[in-house]
This record gives sequence, C-alpha cells and structure tokens, in this order.
Amino acid sequence: MLFKVFIRSFFIQAGWNYERFQSLGFAFSLMPALRKIYPDPERLKAAVLRHLDIFNTQPYMASFILGNIARMEERASASADPAAELKSMPGVKQALASSFASIGDRVFWGRLKPMTVQLCLLVWTLGGFYGWLFTGQPGRPSTALLLAGPLSGIVLYSAAAVYCRWRGLARGYACGGASSCGLDFIDWGKLIKRLSAAGFGMSMAIALFAFGLLAASGSCPGRVVLLKVAVAASVLALHRVTRAYGRSVFFAAGIVFAVSLVLFSVFELRPLTLYL
Amino acid sequence: MTTVLRTILSSAFTGLLGLDSVQAGQFLLSRPAFVGTLLGWLNGCALEGARIGILLELLYVDFIPVGGVVPPNGAAAAAAGVLAHAAGGLAPSLAFFIGLAAGRAYAPLEMRLRAARSSWSRRVEEQVRAGDLNLSRWLSSAMLAESSALAAYSLPGTAAAAALAAVPGVGLLYPGTDFAYSLMPWLGISGLYFRFRTQAYKKG
Repeated sequence: MLFKVFIRSFFIQAGWNYERFQSLGFAFSLMPALRKIYPDPERLKAAVLRHLDIFNTQPYMASFILGNIARMEERASASADPAAELKSMPGVKQALASSFASIGDRVFWGRLKPMTVQLCLLVWTLGGFYGWLFTGQPGRPSTALLLAGPLSGIVLYSAAAVYCRWRGLARGYACGGASSCGLDFIDWGKLIKRLSAAGFGMSMAIALFAFGLLAASGSCPGRVVLLKVAVAASVLALHRVTRAYGRSVFFAAGIVFAVSLVLFSVFELRPLTLYL
Repeated sequence: MTTVLRTILSSAFTGLLGLDSVQAGQFLLSRPAFVGTLLGWLNGCALEGARIGILLELLYVDFIPVGGVVPPNGAAAAAAGVLAHAAGGLAPSLAFFIGLAAGRAYAPLEMRLRAARSSWSRRVEEQVRAGDLNLSRWLSSAMLAESSALAAYSLPGTAAAAALAAVPGVGLLYPGTDFAYSLMPWLGISGLYFRFRTQAYKKG
C-alpha cells in the first residue's frame, strides 16, 4: 500500500491549480491507501472528497503528510466513532503542510538545487573544462564530460529527494495522528545551516577560482589584466545594486546587454576580449 | 537527419523533460544545464548547448518556486536558446539572450495553464460524488496540455530565429552580444554568491 502511495506521490503536483493547489494530486496519491482502508464504496467516496480540499506543501515533503493521513484514515475506519477521529484531521494536515513547506523550500529549493549547479561546475572543472566561463575557449570537451556535469547534480539531488519521499512516508505512517509528526525526523535547523555554509563556501571558491583564471589568462600587460578584473567585478557590483533595488537578475542582464549593444554594435568600439 | 526533423524532435524532448519541473518527478531533468547540453548534443553543438544551458541555470538560480510563484521556465529557455543557435543559425551569444527572454516569457503561459485547471475542482468533486474515482485522467490531461504547450513553444521561436539570421546586417549585433555574453558567467557567479551569502548570514 505505502509503495503505491510513494510511486503516485511523484505526481502530486500534476494537477496544481490556483484554487486548491495540490489537492487533486494529494487525493490521487492517497487513493491506494483509501481503497484498502475503505472497502465500502460510500465511505471511500467520502474519504476521497475529504482530500479534494485545499492542500499545498513542498512536493518532496508531502510524503510525511501522506503517511500521517493514511494512518489517521486507518484509525478512523477502525474506530467506533469515526467522526471524532476525523475531526482533527484538517488541522493536522494544514499545520504539517505549512511547516513542511517552509522546511522543504529552504532545504531543497533554496540550498540543494543551487548546490547542484556548483557540483556541475566542479565536475566540469575537475574534467578540465572551463568553457562555461571562457566563451572563446578553444578545444572541445567530450560530450560525456558535458553531460556528466548536470547529471552528477541530478543524481545526488534526486537521491536526497527520493530518500526524503520514502522515509517521510514511512515516518509519517509510523507516527500518524500527531501534528508534529515527522518534524523531528532530523535536525532540520542544523541541516539548513550546514547546507548554507557549504553553499556559501563553494560560491566563494568558484568566484575566487574564476577571478584567478581571469587574472592568469593570456599574456597581457598588467593594466589590461586589471581592466578585465575591473569589468568582471563591475558586473558583480551591478547585480548587487539591482538586488538592493528589488530588481531581478533580468534587469542586470538587460543593462549589460543594452550597454554592450550601444557601445560595440552602435558606436562600433573595439570590444575588450575578456579572456583569450 | 534534417534540421526540421531535429528541431521537432528537440521540441518533443523539451515538452517531455519540462514535465519534470513541476508535474512529474521533479528530479531536475528540466534544468537548463541538462536540457541545453542534451539538445546541443542532439543538434550537433553539445559545447554551445552546455554553455547556454549552464549560463541560463546560473541566472535562474535567482528564482525559487515557493508559494505558487511561477519562476521563468528553464527548459523553455534552454530549448529556445539552443534551437535559435543550432537550427535558427544565430550566433550563440544572441541565441542565449533569446533563450533568456523566452524562459521569462513562458511563465505567464504557465500561469494561464494553471489557472485554467482551477475550474476543474468542482468537476472532479461532481465526478467523485457520481461514483467515478478515476482521478488519473485529470492528471494525464494536465500533463498532456503542459507538455504540448512547452513542445510547441520552441517551434515558432526557432522559425523567428531563422528569419532573424537571414536579415542582412544581423552580424552587426554580434560584437555587442558577444561582449554581453562573455559577462554572463560573472552575473551567474554573483547570483550564486548572493543566494548563499544571504542564507549564510541569516539568523534563525
């Protein structure tokens, strides 16, 4: 039963909409459990309708709630007074959805996902490919190396996501009924802090490495190297300023694009070759 | 394989991989670094595909899909960028900026598709009340619509890129776009830096 719910949970967002968010996917994922718990068609129908109500959380963390609710439905089905058992269900579901959304957004979207980009760059760098940085780099890295970069991140990230989905489901089922069920699965606060520190360290290393390569590129006189470093640093400063004014990266990219076009395409100035 | 066939195949792949971003799996198969490299490889320019993809990914790090926010679509961006170069014949630098804009422009379309599904809730309830508990057909319809929309999205863009490449004097744009493109890694690095800096110094 739990395995079927686990497989279906990969589609929890398939019917996402602005009225009830993940409700359709939640009911779909829970269906194997509900079918087993309620052999009576009328009670099954009522249970499905219960779970078509508004629901939204971080998709990987939804498993904790699916397991919990499956256990609550099981208890209600076996109870002499199902209404009393079901009374607390919407509250538990809502409380957990908010808590797990906050945790999942921070762990997966905010930390692990950007870290897969860093991992991709690390794999490419270890393979001797800096082509993402050197737009005019000669030489052709193998397709296997190019694919290995993003795939390494996909494999690691997916392993974490699938682990969280499966263990979350089992944990939720084990402690079902409690509104804090699964929140103590691991020390989320410590994990978030460690991921932030690791990500920041990697970002610093990438920035220093990139500036190092820029400074060492070609056999230019010192002042040209300084100019190149200054141009690159000015892009970072531009991004910082646009962020401070609440603008997205598109705004900064647009400024770079427009200024470059005006200087080098309209006024036909001789472009500075940044690398080679 | 002809360019047209490769373009159609690439669009179909994009539509399928794009499902991974929200609707199915969410294994990050729809990330631009992967889609860009894969489509680049399919179209004989893996290196440019990988470069366009990773730069798009670095810039898109700025956006996270929390609370129902629809971020720019990375798969649409990578497909538009790689196909504008590989099939449209534009320089990678201009193709990259076309991809960047295409990913952003896809977000409102994605929002409309999600909004269109809002009316389903009551119909699903009516169906369940009538005793039909088959919810999978609603989910399949949603995935088919999203996948088709994404697959179709890159085709007119590629045609427009090919038309633009044929415009006399388009080469005059390239010194400017090449320079702007060479600065994009730095914008991406700063995106990564600021994303983690804010988190590392956040209290609580």
